[in-house]
Amino acid sequence: MRTTRPWHERYFHFILLLPALIILLFLTVYPLANVFRLSFYEYNYLRGAPRFVGLANYGRLFSDRFFVDGIRNTFVFSISATALEVLLGLGLAVLFNRQFRGRKLLLPLVIFPMMLSTMVVCAIWRSMYHYDYGIINHFLSNFTPIVNWFRGVFGLAPVAGIKVRWLFDPDLALWSVVLVDLWQYTPMAFLILLAGLQSIPKDLYEAARVDGAGGVSLFRYVTLPLLRKHLFLALLLRSIDTFKIFDKVYALTGGGPGSATETISFYIYREGFKYFNMGRASAAAVVMFLAVAVVTVFYIRQVLRGENA
Amino acid sequence: MKKIVCLVLAVAALGSLGLAKTKIVIAGRDGGYGQVLELAARLYMADHPDVEIELLKLPYASLYEKLVIDLAEGIGAYDVVMLDDTWATEFMSQGWLADLEGLGYTPDPDFVDNALAVGRYPYPDGALYALPHVGNVELFAYRRDLFEKYGLPHPPRSWLEVLGAAALIEEYEPEVSGVVFRGRKGNPIVTGFLPIFWAFGGRIVEDGQAKVASPAGVAALKFFLALKDYAPEGVEVYDSSEVKDALLAGDVAIAIEVWPGWVPALDDPAQSKVVGLVDIIPAPGLVEESSPMIGIWLLGVSSASQNKQAALDFIEFTTSAEIQRKLTLELGHPPTRHSVYSDPEVVANYRWFPAQLAAMDSAVPRPRVPVWSEIEGVLGDYLQLALVGEMSPEDALRAAQARIQEILER
Repeated sequence: MRTTRPWHERYFHFILLLPALIILLFLTVYPLANVFRLSFYEYNYLRGAPRFVGLANYGRLFSDRFFVDGIRNTFVFSISATALEVLLGLGLAVLFNRQFRGRKLLLPLVIFPMMLSTMVVCAIWRSMYHYDYGIINHFLSNFTPIVNWFRGVFGLAPVAGIKVRWLFDPDLALWSVVLVDLWQYTPMAFLILLAGLQSIPKDLYEAARVDGAGGVSLFRYVTLPLLRKHLFLALLLRSIDTFKIFDKVYALTGGGPGSATETISFYIYREGFKYFNMGRASAAAVVMFLAVAVVTVFYIRQVLRGENA
Repeated sequence: MKKIVCLVLAVAALGSLGLAKTKIVIAGRDGGYGQVLELAARLYMADHPDVEIELLKLPYASLYEKLVIDLAEGIGAYDVVMLDDTWATEFMSQGWLADLEGLGYTPDPDFVDNALAVGRYPYPDGALYALPHVGNVELFAYRRDLFEKYGLPHPPRSWLEVLGAAALIEEYEPEVSGVVFRGRKGNPIVTGFLPIFWAFGGRIVEDGQAKVASPAGVAALKFFLALKDYAPEGVEVYDSSEVKDALLAGDVAIAIEVWPGWVPALDDPAQSKVVGLVDIIPAPGLVEESSPMIGIWLLGVSSASQNKQAALDFIEFTTSAEIQRKLTLELGHPPTRHSVYSDPEVVANYRWFPAQLAAMDSAVPRPRVPVWSEIEGVLGDYLQLALVGEMSPEDALRAAQARIQEILER
């Protein structure tokens, strides 16, 4: 005889999930849907009701050089900062995975920048980058005689001093912001990868060594494959974070010089919270959401593929 | 027993009613402005023991966001609101601020006219919605010692004299840049540019139409770019702190834009290498007379406040001649009243106050349009593109004009 369980037992797991689902609905799904809806309206929070304009906000976005430059800069920043942070983090993780003198002392120092507030980090770097009074240019000026010697060899006129236009050279400003991000967040990639390295069983290395593998082969055929998930995790987390770059641009350059450090987040902030153009800010946010979603899905598929392999 | 308990409760209830204080919540600025409001609140509470004041000290951008949301939604979380005069037209035109004359206030002729006018809507003689609290006005600073050393006419009366002086000093003083200004995109570069733009006869908005790309506007921008040749490297990202540092360190001969809030540092030997060497004057003129930019911070009463009379009373108290004088003498607060500017003790402490008053009298407010914040952002973007050489002055101003016109028509 078939027994039928009462409904509250059959759906008990759904009931348990309900509070979380309701919270998700109100805090994530509703705002997302609303942003998507608003992106089709001309809506300034300060003036009047929303007016349906179809795709006009998207059209305006892509004809606005500050947004287009913002997309380009965001991708350049995100890809370069993520790649360099994970690469440097991997190097540091390999180094700190060995025992050496002073390791315990150096480890907290290496992760220290990540613990600082971004505004504090930017204030420090802004003064270090100062063209006239900054410590970096002061340090570089010590190399002036050497540079002038080389210039003399090639028949070039000597320079008065080596000074780099860190934050106000349009070709360099974005890379100066990347450098600050590297300093602050390489430790994050380092910690993830160090955890990954420490989870690799030692006997795998021993077995590989017995088979004749050297240092490079060990890294190529043992470490890297087993570190794959951690590498993708570091890439995913840093990609998402760097794609949202706002605070460093706000504090270091204000988006300038010109449009050299404009980013999508900075554009959304200005349209949404300075000008209260919620329709345009929403359209820009949808573009950003789609870009982040594509990147996230790509990484997650890579991780799952690794797991299923 | 029951009777005794009832009696005690009744006495306690009456007592609490009698001791209940009126609470005023002020949304104000942080930093020096916050200190001034804090002192004013302390003085007010000492005079009015029945009033309790809660002062919120907020950074510029955060204050704007919080005010817009509170006032637009009619929440009434703040009774007294401190607002930049560029926000005033927006707030007043939306009916977010209470009409002070409607609440029984009579305007005081002691206020500087230009400062009082920015609290009126329509500008300059409509209803009064806010009183001038901080008498901010753009000032011009130059190294008197260097001008005298090279026989330059001083104070400079026109912008052409400024350019000539900057070029000459830069040539003969290798350690000193001729001129400095704020070049950072957005509000800083617009603020630095406007006194020149206005002196050349430029107008941002006229009769509801964008006019920045007029011949006068283009000439002003070309002149601004000519000044850049004598500015320190990196002026494109200079904000107030960099301008201040350069002037205090004696690294520049002229600052086209200094503000009352930090001018006292010039005479402080602990901070300045140029004590007594810098003269402060209103900005020079050219086609037009001196046209410094006025940047008054106002105090208004929220339309949604439940304590409008108490809020008005606090504003009247804070902006009164007696309290302004005290705030000025104790904290260097820039006043908005003639009587404080002419007070001998005040002038003895702040030697540039006669120049500051002259600047306020000839000052020009930014356009009284509700969309100024966005217009300023757009203009700042394109001015910077011209400053870094990515666009010609003509193209930059034409592009800015088209965008500003679109904003005005939206």
